[in-house]
Amino acid sequence: MTSALLIQDLVKRFSTGKPAVDGVSFDVPAGEIVVLLGPSGCGKTTTLRCVAGLEHPTGGRISIGGRTVSELQRGVLVSPRERDIGMVFQSYAVWPHMTVRQNVAYPLKHRRNGGGGDIDTKVKETLELVGLGEYADRSATLLSGGQMQRVALARSLVYRPQLLLLDEPLSNLDAKLRIRLRDELRRILKATGMTGLYVTHDQAEAVVLGDRIGVMREGKLLQMAPPGEIYNRPADSFVANFTGASNVLLGKVLERKGERATIDLGQAGRIEAWTPQPLSAGDRARVALRAENIRLGERGPANSFTGRVVERRYQGMQTVYDVEFGGQKLEVLELGTAARHSDGEVAMHLPPDTCWAYRDEGQAAVD
Amino acid sequence: MAAPLWVGALLILLAFLVIYPLLMLFFGAISDSNPVIDGFGKFNPSLTHFIAVLGNENVHLAFFNALVACGGGTILAVVIGLAFSWIVVRTNTPFKGFIAGASMIPLFVPPLVAGVAWSILGSPKTGLLNTALKWMGIDFRFDFYSMSGLILVFGFYYAPYVYMFTASALRNMDPSLEEASEVSGASAFTTIFTITFPLIAPAILAGSLLSFVVMLGIYGVPAALGAPANISVLTTYIFKLTAWAPPLYNTAAAVAILLMFVTAILVWAQQKVLSGKSFATVAGKAFRPRSLNLGPWRWFTFGLALIYLFIVVVLPTIALVIAGFRRFLFFKDFGALFDMKAYSWVHFNSIFDNPLTMTSIWNTMKVGVITALVGGALAFAIGYTVNRTQVGGRRSIDLLSTIPVAIPGLVVGVAYLWAWIGLPGGLYGTIWILALAFVARFIPDTVKALSTSFMQIHKELEEAAWVCGRGLLGTIWTVMLPLARPGIVASMTLLFVLAVRELGSSLFLYTSDTTVMAVLLLDYYEGGNIGKTAAFSLVQTVILAVLLGFTTWLSRGAAEGTARAG
Repeated sequence: MTSALLIQDLVKRFSTGKPAVDGVSFDVPAGEIVVLLGPSGCGKTTTLRCVAGLEHPTGGRISIGGRTVSELQRGVLVSPRERDIGMVFQSYAVWPHMTVRQNVAYPLKHRRNGGGGDIDTKVKETLELVGLGEYADRSATLLSGGQMQRVALARSLVYRPQLLLLDEPLSNLDAKLRIRLRDELRRILKATGMTGLYVTHDQAEAVVLGDRIGVMREGKLLQMAPPGEIYNRPADSFVANFTGASNVLLGKVLERKGERATIDLGQAGRIEAWTPQPLSAGDRARVALRAENIRLGERGPANSFTGRVVERRYQGMQTVYDVEFGGQKLEVLELGTAARHSDGEVAMHLPPDTCWAYRDEGQAAVD
Repeated sequence: MAAPLWVGALLILLAFLVIYPLLMLFFGAISDSNPVIDGFGKFNPSLTHFIAVLGNENVHLAFFNALVACGGGTILAVVIGLAFSWIVVRTNTPFKGFIAGASMIPLFVPPLVAGVAWSILGSPKTGLLNTALKWMGIDFRFDFYSMSGLILVFGFYYAPYVYMFTASALRNMDPSLEEASEVSGASAFTTIFTITFPLIAPAILAGSLLSFVVMLGIYGVPAALGAPANISVLTTYIFKLTAWAPPLYNTAAAVAILLMFVTAILVWAQQKVLSGKSFATVAGKAFRPRSLNLGPWRWFTFGLALIYLFIVVVLPTIALVIAGFRRFLFFKDFGALFDMKAYSWVHFNSIFDNPLTMTSIWNTMKVGVITALVGGALAFAIGYTVNRTQVGGRRSIDLLSTIPVAIPGLVVGVAYLWAWIGLPGGLYGTIWILALAFVARFIPDTVKALSTSFMQIHKELEEAAWVCGRGLLGTIWTVMLPLARPGIVASMTLLFVLAVRELGSSLFLYTSDTTVMAVLLLDYYEGGNIGKTAAFSLVQTVILAVLLGFTTWLSRGAAEGTARAG
């Protein structure tokens, strides 16, 4: 099966500063949704805009549906209108001087290859699909944020492009609506079988929407994997930190067997950890842990320790504990409406699979 | 107790400056008594006179001519202004900053100077352009003494009004609105006409209404280019009526009211458009500037900009220099253009031999300073009262001080004429009547400029001073004045420059002792001596440029002074 989107060694350099996109490669098979996730300024939106043709790459190759649309070396640069893509913008870009129907019909009217068929029927079907069937004749200025977002979606779906690009489409909505539309967006995209490239800085959105997630930082793609793998097997300490493994224990590698390493945490003792990196004995290491993976009041075959609860913050549905552990500090999160542990000594189990050891490159490599 | 007194005083002052002259204008329009002969005693109010004026064929013709000239000029201004805003905001044309700055120059050119320059260039027989065409053996001849000449000069010189509105609308427009169209498969051409222009339509409309209103009130250009071809527009027709023997002051007043009425409707429409919902702005993240890569075509757009600057700045300057320094404006061949013996200071010597020249320069400065000081102080008082206090009656102050927006300068002149000419020993014949007319005419602009700088000063800065025990006046003195100083200096500067170049309202209010530069220039032009006219145009332009430079430096100094203090 050919990839609906293929990106090879994409580079985008603006006139000043570091390259915004620095050698990114990945592909998206037809029917899959790939989410680019990362903090602002990581190059995800620039990557998306290069795919759309709204930015011109300074290196690398992009092909859509097997056709090269951008390759500087060979002088290929297809204009956005010839790329057969749809795009949902962060600001929706719904045209305020038109009605909902006019907005959605616009691509059908102005595309060189409108695809034939009855415009009215297509517009009607698409508006039904996004749940705006009754709003067709409303002026675009009278819509709520959520409705505008759906108009933008309908407008980019109506001509069934080969590839749909979504640039933080939910970020301008309030929290409750965002969650509802997020789930609905996935339903609609899957119902149409659309291939999608989706950009966001919100992990929750990425996990729900993406078949695969690519985490980006400073123009580089750090890891591209299904959500479960991103969450349980982060490839480096930035991905671990960015997806919420905020606890860090510092130590030294004692030995490494396959993907298992034993790390000396000093006062706190030794810890068994999983590692994706080729660490060797004597390397300084950072062990990253998610707060919700630490088990208080439990013991296991390995990584059983004793800590001391120094503070407890009851939050209703969960409780957060600050635990002191061999001179280092851990944050532990326990679900449930009961706060089970009180200040003082507590048994603690850190399952080795949930302790991830990386080479210690200082705090700067994580922020 | 102090507040009502203060408000009352301001209202009386505004009534004196604005309402009383307007009332006299209305009175003049509906009576047939001559204020000079009959004085104030004789009122013969009746509508018949006014209706007769409205039915007059000459009035119809002047009205029609004004609509055609301003309408055509506005269309041209929209085309030029829109093209420029697109070039500057949306393309990668080289030296955009220079183009943006230089394209505002026409705003500073006094209309009469532009008119004079283009009559030197484009008069059908002796125009420099036509002389050049003859040398080149081309049969075509320009005739700027015509309706099309009027339209061209209007369109070229008032395009910046359209540009100001459309450029800022384009800048504030979310670029993804256009990108969405491109991604949807529309061509660049389709995008411009189905997305970009419809979205900035309110700005285009507001800009064209403004430029129409400005053109409608201009006297200098139609006086220079229309008069030789016997084309009267409303402004030149009104002046012609007062220059009649005997002067037809009542008819002038009636036509002035017609002009004011049309202006008021257009200004109202423009305000309506501006206050309506603006499509273009969208909340959210700051936009990335979107500039279209034109490739080699960017030199074409750059060339267009150069041609525009050449037409509105370079050519007229060359024309004025040649005409001002040459003894005779006759060339026997191309080489004669560079014959240095033909150039001399003779025209300059002759205008400075005329004692009126220095008088007019001196008067202009005096009027400018008085206008700036009185107008600045009044605008500060009004702006502060309206924006910063809760006193009753401030709405009326606001309203009264906004009325002159809808009154063309020429109508202000006629109104002040009616207000003071019949009062013996009054203001008429002094330079104060000019200054007061200018203050009244420009008070809306000044108050607006000052209010913007008031808005940037947080109310709490004042409240902090009150809490510290300062009184209202003490607070204004120690907090408001120092903080608003750049704004105050800038508004007074603006007033000064506007007063120096104002012609329309001066026309009716000067006497030989109180003549000002703009009026004297018109005298020279109508006297028919092109050399002297061009020389005095240059003198006036240089004085204006020096003043502009000096005042810019002054307001920049004020801004920096505050920045240091703050």
